Order: sequence, then C-alpha cells, then structure tokens
Amino acid sequence: MQVLATEAMATRFELVLAANDEAGGDETRLRAAGEAALAIVEECEREWSAFRADSFLAHVNREAARRAVPLSEDQFELFAACDDVWRASDGAFDPSVAPLLGAFDRRGGELDVARARERVGWKSVELDRERRTLRFTREGVALDLGAIAKGHALELAAIELRAAGVANALLHGGTSSVLALGGPPDTDAWRVALEGGDGAPVVELRDAALSVSAQHGRTLADGSGHVLDPRAKISTPNKALVAVVHRSARLAEAWSTAILVQREPSGAARELDVAIGSGPRFARAWRFTRPRSNSSFARPSTVPA
Amino acid sequence: MTPVDRRNLLVHGASTAAAFALAPEILRAASLERTNAPIDVAVIGCGRQGRAILGELAKIEGVRVAGVVDVLDSRLKSGQRRVQGAEGFASAKELLDKLKNVSAVFVATPSHTHKDVALECLDAGKAVYCEAPLATTLDDARVLARAARKSGKPFATGMYGRSNPIYGLARSFFRSGSIRDVATLRAQYHKKNSWRTPGSNPDEEAALNWALDPKLSLGLVGEFGAQQFDVFHWFLGAYPTAVRGFGSVQLHKDGRVVPDTVVCELTFPDDRRLLWEATLANSFESQYELFCGSMGAIKLAWTAGWLFKEADAPTQGWEVYANRQQFHDEQGITLIADATKLAAQNKLKEGIGLPNPPLYYALADFLKAVTENGTVACSADEGMRAAAVAILANQAIQLGASVAIDPAVFKSE
Repeated sequence: MQVLATEAMATRFELVLAANDEAGGDETRLRAAGEAALAIVEECEREWSAFRADSFLAHVNREAARRAVPLSEDQFELFAACDDVWRASDGAFDPSVAPLLGAFDRRGGELDVARARERVGWKSVELDRERRTLRFTREGVALDLGAIAKGHALELAAIELRAAGVANALLHGGTSSVLALGGPPDTDAWRVALEGGDGAPVVELRDAALSVSAQHGRTLADGSGHVLDPRAKISTPNKALVAVVHRSARLAEAWSTAILVQREPSGAARELDVAIGSGPRFARAWRFTRPRSNSSFARPSTVPA
Repeated sequence: MTPVDRRNLLVHGASTAAAFALAPEILRAASLERTNAPIDVAVIGCGRQGRAILGELAKIEGVRVAGVVDVLDSRLKSGQRRVQGAEGFASAKELLDKLKNVSAVFVATPSHTHKDVALECLDAGKAVYCEAPLATTLDDARVLARAARKSGKPFATGMYGRSNPIYGLARSFFRSGSIRDVATLRAQYHKKNSWRTPGSNPDEEAALNWALDPKLSLGLVGEFGAQQFDVFHWFLGAYPTAVRGFGSVQLHKDGRVVPDTVVCELTFPDDRRLLWEATLANSFESQYELFCGSMGAIKLAWTAGWLFKEADAPTQGWEVYANRQQFHDEQGITLIADATKLAAQNKLKEGIGLPNPPLYYALADFLKAVTENGTVACSADEGMRAAAVAILANQAIQLGASVAIDPAVFKSE
C-alpha cells in the first residue's frame, strides 16, 4: 500500500494505492504510478486553479470576451460537462458565479455586489462544440470551476493510474471529492463515512465517485457560505449536506453543488444516487433519493428510514 | 560608488521598472504580428515538457501546431489531445519530410537526444527552440551551437529566466546596484519525487527513465541546474571558473546510482560563490535563486520575485507604490513587471505573480524572433555555456571533488 499526496487547488489531494500483480507488485513501480497521477493533478492545478494568476482559467477569464479561446480535448470535456450540468440543473450549477464570489469575499459594498450580480450567468458563455472553442458574449464574465475541477483532476489522475496497471486505489481531493478504483485488498469496496461521529451513512464505492457539498466547508470574508445560488445570486441558505455518487467524479462534484442549491433534487438530479443530511452534525436525519436502488449508500442503523 | 551616484542609479532602476512592459501587454496573451499569416510550428517530444509547450502555444494567437512527434504512441496521442488538428509522427524525419510549411520546431525530447534532433531540424532549414540542457556532452553542445550559428535561422535555448518579465525587472535592479556589493549567491531545486515513470513494458520503462541512466543523464544538475546557472550567468555577466560537487541517494534507495540529492559550489570571478543544491527527497521552498548584497537581497522564484532591503539601504520614491510580503522576520518588496502602470490603474495587487507560466514567455519570445527576424532571448551559445557548466558540475559530483572550468569550454569555435 502506498499513500501519496500533493497540495493543489488550495486543498490536499491524496492517493491510496493498493498493490496488485498488474502494477508489478513492487512498491517502486506503484509509487511511480502514483507520482504520475499526482503530476496530472498538479497539471490540473496549473490549468484550473482560481487561486493562480497564471492558470489557464485565468487566461480564459482575461481573453474570452475578446476572442474565442481554443481548447484541448480535456479542457473541452470539462467545459462541456459544465454546460451539460448547467442545462440539466436549470442553472443551479453555474461556474460564472466568480465575480459574485469575489465581491462577497472582498466584502464589497452594495454597488460592487450589484455590479457583480449583473455579470453572473452561463448564458453569456458560448461553447462551440464543433470548433472546440469557448468565448464570452459580453465583457466582465469570469468563471470559477471550484465546484467541478477537483473531480476533473481525479478523473484524469485515475486514467493515468489505470494506464500504469493500478486497479485498486482511492483518490480524494480535499476529502469532498472521492474516486474509487476497484476495492481495497481484502474487501469489495472502499468504505467512506460522510461525516465523523455515529450515525453518518457510510458510502461503499467501487469504480465510482462520491462528492459532498455543504456550506460549512468554507466561509467567505463577508461571513456567507461559499456555495452561491446562481439564480437568486445570493449565498445559498441551505444548511444541509448533499452527497452524490456517480460514475464520473466531475459530474458527482457538479451535481452535489447543484442539488445543494436546488434544495431538493429536481429534473435530471432525480436520477442520481443522492443522500441529503440535515441537523447539527447530520446525524439525525438522512434522506436517500433512491433507497435500496443501489448499494452505494449503506443506511446507518441509528437513522430512521 | 557615491551615495549620489547610487541614488541616480536607483532612480534609473525605478524608471526602468516604470517603463518596463512586455510587448505585447503583459496581461494580454501574446499574438504574432497581424500582418503575418499564422505560422505553422511543430513539437518534437510529447512527454510532460512537450505537453506543457503545447498548452502554452495554444494561448498564442497566430500560431498553428501542424505536427507533433513522439516515438511512443501513447505519448503521441496525449500530445495530440492538447491541440486541434495536429498531425502525429513517430520521428522527426517523417515530420520534416511531410510538413514542409513548418517554420519553427520545438525540441522537447530527452536531453541526450537534443543534438541529433535539433541538427535534423536545422538541416531542414527550420528555426529551432531547444529545451535545456542544450546537450549532455561538451562536444555535442559545441557542435550544435556551431550549427545553429551557421544556419542563420533563429535558434533559442529554453532558458526561462531570460524571457521572464519578473527576472528581467529584477536584473535591471540588480545591474543598477540596488543590492550593491554581491556577497553570496544561492539557489535550490526541491521536489519530493522519485523521478521514475511507469511504462507498459520493460523496454518502454527503460526508455522513459533515461534520466536515471548515468550513461545518458546529467542528473539533477543537468535537468534543473543548467536552467538556474544561466540566471546567474545572465545577472552577473560572468561564468564560473571552478565547480565542486557532492551527490548521494538520500531517499529513493531503489538501486539507482544517479543521486537524488546533490550540492554544488560554483566559483565565479572575484571569488564569488554560488551554492546550489537539489533534492528529490524534500519539497520545501521549491525552486529559487537568491542574490545577497551589502544593501539587500533579491529572491527569485520563477513566478514571483522580491527585494529585501538592508536597514541602512536608502529609501526610494517608488517604494510608496510597492507591495510587501512578510517572510517570518523579513519583509520583501514584491517585484512586479509594469508596476508603475498598474499602480496608476489601482491594479497593483493584480500584478503580483506572473499572468502566465515562465515557459509561455520563452516560447512567445522565440516566436517573435522567428516572425520578426529578431534576436532570441537565449542563444545556442549561451545554452552551450550553461550546458558546459552543468556537464562539469556533474563530473564534480561524480568525483566528489573540485573541477576547474577552462574558459575554452565557453567558446564554440
């Protein structure tokens, strides 16, 4: 077993790699495979970090109102996923909240916040799926991919691990986005508890991803929660914790944010495996949108159905 | 130097900063002269560095990556995913035979193959950008530098410091005496990493791990030292006369002989010493260069730079605009390219840190030289000099001793 980690996107990414014959069974090769995956995570940090002036995302935010920015295949897939979830969630997921996040985070005055609100809206983002370019149809638009980029990085890292013959691994970004390859050495699935303490559900993951969204993870400088409702253009008042299991780590992450904003899964979100917890430590009430339909969420025995 | 002279120099330094602006504008992506048709370029080598080059080229308007090359199919495909419409080839020869319209080629193959690949491109009449180190033997470096000069085409060695706007600004401060008399020089490369790459079979794995083969690789001093030594060559306008080195395997005891930890001491004229160390066992403070003088210190960390003043250093008018960052007990003035202009627009904080990675500026500078028939930021001759120092430093590390550097190694003729 190898545990490797790196700092990226203002959080910690960690990989737990279980040895298997295909990966050569030796720790040196396993470590090399893990490092190649972490290098991918670091590449994603350089591309998508909202905290770096030299990221590709910063380049997009500077250039896309002036010209159509060409995208690589991976970059295009990420923006296409943003576009898809924005449509399917009726705008509850919308990476164009960046100006408003910025205004709240610098404790902007009324005018500042009002101006930022005007700049929010994915409808001003034009993704040309044929030419594989992205452009903004107006000045002032800016994107923050904080609600999808960690999952994207995990997905690309997993591809790297598979290519190196690693079949069993658990990857996470800041503990809120998790991706499982296979299972640990002695059991079928990786078991991940949604919260500390008794009563929290345990998610069993095998070749699947989990993402958790809640307001309590981070607070902006003005005291509001960091998950914004792009439609109401306020910090979402929902105090619940939402967990989504999906084959895709980036879609799990985007949907967990979207459902937190929606409050109740609606539209396409009803097809997902979702757990919603509420209460001070989320121990008192959990709801499962598809109870017994999937073994991913193990219902805690202390919680009434 | 009298205080008056010094003040004049610093004022000159400040006005240099005020006038300093990357053309095109620093906050905008580069674009080639609009009068020129888009130029076709190619990238040879689609490993991590090649892919990084492809990523940065995609940001520059007026450039079309027409072809990419790699001997490994998986890497070739990975390179092609980075750009739209690039044709893939298994060798430089195939690319050069087929894509006659390519004007410039970026060489990002393993270091020991740079000479052969770059010579092939020069023979085909292409402008060449070659990653550092230029070569891994003195002969190869010299042969390539000569060929580059004879070709009459732009040839750039990928030394990022020379194109980096923050380094350019720092150098103007340094050369105008802002830290006064240089006393010590220091640099490091720290990254916790085994330096191994997994492959799908033993042959592929051996090819991918060339950097751990002592017959092919200069080790850390070649892959990172040459890049950092060049910064000191450029700032000081001088080259070392001797190098002492030590190396060992401190963490990755997996049978390798190429050290994962090395220390070098380079002696420059006037008995100035540069202490350079590199390790794959620790990541603390990553990569930086440090110049310490009697009136202050300049620390450069690739995407940011700082000036630390001694308490008795005179205060300059421009300092009212300056941003400062605290480092434990020290306060650093952030070096920001185009600072005065940003200050006038009340955007000084936005200028902290480069808006693009250092690699981007090296590529943009080279393409500008190609399209405008200008000079490159780092010539093949300068690349040869940095490679020569790295080659001799590697010898010193292997011997665990001091090696004299004959000035003749810095001449290609």
